Amino acid sequence: MGRSASSAAPGAAAATAFTILSQLCGAAFLYALLKADGGWQVIGLLVLLGVGFFLLERFPWINDFVMASLTRVPLITTATAAVIVLGFPFLVGSNTYILHLLIVAQLYAVLALALNFQLGSANIPNFSTGASYGIGAYASALLALNFGMSFWLTLPIAALAATLFGFIIGIPSMRTRDTYLALVTIAFGVVVQQLLNNFDWTGGPNGLVGIPAPSLFGHSFASPLQVFGWKLPSQANFYYLSAALVVVAIVTAQRLHGSRIGLAWNALRADEIAAKAQGINVAWYKVLAFAVDAFLAAFAGTIYAFYVSYISPDNFTFLVSVTIMTMVIVGGMDNIFGVIIGAFLLTILPEKLRAFSDYRLLFFGVVVIGFLMIRPQGLFPQRLRQYGVHR
Amino acid sequence: MVELFVQQSVNWITLGCIYALLAIGFSLIFGVLNVIHFSHGDVAMTAPFIALASAQGLAAALGATGPAWLVLAVVAAVLAVGLIGAVLDKVVIRRFRDAPAMMALVATVALGIVIRELIRHLYPQGSNPHAFPRLVSGVAFEITSVPISWFSLLVVGLTTLLVALLFVFLRLTPLGLRIRAASEDRVVARMMGIRDDRVFRATFFIASAIGAIAGLLFASYAGVTRFDFGVMTGLLGFSAAVIGGLGSMPGAIAGGLIIAGIEVLAQTFVPDGASYRLVFVFVLVIVVLIFRPAGLLGRTIMEKV
Repeated sequence: MGRSASSAAPGAAAATAFTILSQLCGAAFLYALLKADGGWQVIGLLVLLGVGFFLLERFPWINDFVMASLTRVPLITTATAAVIVLGFPFLVGSNTYILHLLIVAQLYAVLALALNFQLGSANIPNFSTGASYGIGAYASALLALNFGMSFWLTLPIAALAATLFGFIIGIPSMRTRDTYLALVTIAFGVVVQQLLNNFDWTGGPNGLVGIPAPSLFGHSFASPLQVFGWKLPSQANFYYLSAALVVVAIVTAQRLHGSRIGLAWNALRADEIAAKAQGINVAWYKVLAFAVDAFLAAFAGTIYAFYVSYISPDNFTFLVSVTIMTMVIVGGMDNIFGVIIGAFLLTILPEKLRAFSDYRLLFFGVVVIGFLMIRPQGLFPQRLRQYGVHR
Repeated sequence: MVELFVQQSVNWITLGCIYALLAIGFSLIFGVLNVIHFSHGDVAMTAPFIALASAQGLAAALGATGPAWLVLAVVAAVLAVGLIGAVLDKVVIRRFRDAPAMMALVATVALGIVIRELIRHLYPQGSNPHAFPRLVSGVAFEITSVPISWFSLLVVGLTTLLVALLFVFLRLTPLGLRIRAASEDRVVARMMGIRDDRVFRATFFIASAIGAIAGLLFASYAGVTRFDFGVMTGLLGFSAAVIGGLGSMPGAIAGGLIIAGIEVLAQTFVPDGASYRLVFVFVLVIVVLIFRPAGLLGRTIMEKV
C-alpha cells in the first residue's frame, strides 16, 4: 500500500489543481442532480455515477491519487470546500425546494456521522439513532413551546437529555452483542416512538406545532437572508446553520478518530476479547459510543424541529433509523467522507425518484439491495490507519 | 372474573401460537444461515394476499365459492410463499451469509420494503386494507359460559401439528439431519458431502411456508390484512425468536407465548393499555436481554480470540 501511494504521489501544483478541479466536479454533479427533472435525466446521472464507481473499482489508484492530492494540500482542500459550501445557496438562488433538500441532507449527514461512531468505528449495531434524534427534537421543541426558551439555549439542554438516553441504552450493550444488541436498540427505538405517540404532553400522534423560528443578533431565521445586496430565501439561514453543524460533526469525528478513544473503538471492532486483554475498558467505550451518537443526533433533531416548526412521532420511526444505517453502510463504514456522500445520495435519490411517482420506494429498495450485493464494502471503504508517514 | 381469565387465556394462546410460528421461521433461518432474515414477516404477510387472489381467481374461473375452495386457495398460498422464500434465498439472501451481520440486516430490511411495495402495486387497490375471512367459523364449546371458537382450536391444533412435524422432520429424516448438520457447522457439513445450497433452499421453503401459515392465521385473527402488516408482525416474531434464544425451537415457542402474554396482559389490565401494548412488549424484550443476553434458552457460546 505504501509503495503504490508514494509512486502516485502528486506534486504540489498538480495536487492543487486536481484538488480544486475534483471538488468543483463533485459540486457540479450535486448541482446537476438537484436540478435534474424527469426520469431520464435522473437515470442518466445515476448511470454516470455508476460508471464513476466502476472506474474506482477497476482502478483503485484513482482513489489513492485523489486522497493523496487532497491530503497533500489540506489548506486548499478546506478553502475550496468552504467556498463551495458557502456559495452553493447563491448558485441555487430562489429555489427553496433545492435548499430544503440540502438542509435535510446535511442533517442526515450529521446523523450518519453520529451513527458511524458505533457502526463504523466500533461495529456496534444501533437502531436507535432515530430515537435520539427524536428526543433531541422533542426536548428542544417542548422547552421552546412551554417555557419560551430560545433555540440557542434549548440546543445544549436537548443534547444533554439525549446523551442521558444514550447512556441508558448503553447499559444493556455491556452485556448483549450482535443480533441481540441490535434487538435491544430496536426495542428502545420503538418504545421511545410509541411513548411520543401516546403521551398527552407530547401532543400524541399530532405532534407539536408552531415551534418558533430561532433568531441570531436580532435576525430572525424566518426572514430572508441579505448578503451584499443578494437576497436569499429564509431557508438559507437554516442551510448555513446545518452546514455549521456538519462541520462540527466532521471535526468531532476526526478528533475522536485520531484520539485514544477512536483507537479503542477500532480495537473493539477488530476483536472485543483481544481488546479486553489489552486493558481496554470495553464496557465504558461501548457506552461512550452510544452517548456520543445521541449527543450529535440531538443537535440534528433540534435544528430539524426549529426548521420545519412541526414535528410528529412519524418523523422518528424505526425506518428512519434503518435509513441512517443504510447511509453509513452505503457510504462506507468508518470513512467520514464516504458517510457524508452516502447521506447526501440517499436523501436526494428518493426525492428525485418522484419522477417514478408511486414506484420510488420500490426502486429505492432495489437500488439499496443491488448496491449491497455489488459493492458490499461501501462506496468508500474504510482506510487503514497510517503511522509514521509524516509528509 | 373467571370469564375474563378464560377469555384472555384463549386470546393469549391463540396469539402466542401465531407469534411462535413466525418466530420458528426466524430461528430456523438464523440457525442454518446465520443471517437475520428481517423481511420474513413481509414474506409471511404476502400469504393472505395470495390466498385472496387465488380464491377470487378460482371463483372467476370455475364459478366455485365455498369452504373447500378457500382451503385450496390457502394451500396454494402456503406453497407459493414457500417458493417465494426459496427464490429470495437464491437471489438475495444467500449472498449475505458471509457478510457482516449488519449488512444482511439492512439488505433484508430493504427487501422487506420491496416486498411491501410489490404487494401494494400488484394487488388491486393494494394500499387499502382488505377483509380476510375467518378460516373456520362457529363456536366449538363453552367453558364457564365463555365461547371457545373453532378458530382458536384450529390455531392451537395447527401449531401443535406443525411443531410436531417439524420436530420429526428435523430428527428423523435425512434432509432434517442435513439441516441440523449445516446449522451445527457449515464447513464441516460440506466436507461430509452435504450440498449446502440445497439445505438453504429447503430451509427457506419450510420457514417461509410456516411463516405463510402464521400470516394467514394472523390475517384471519385480525379479520383484515394490509400490505404493511409485515413490519410489526415481523418485528414481534423476531423479538419472540430472540428472547427465546435464536436457533432454539422451544425458545421460539416460549418467546412467542411470552410476547403474546404481555400484549394480552397490557390490553386487559392496564388502562389505555391497547395503545401502550408495544411499549410493554419491547420493555420486556429489553429486560429479558439484560438478564439473559443470549435469550432464555439460547446457547451461550464461549468466545475465543
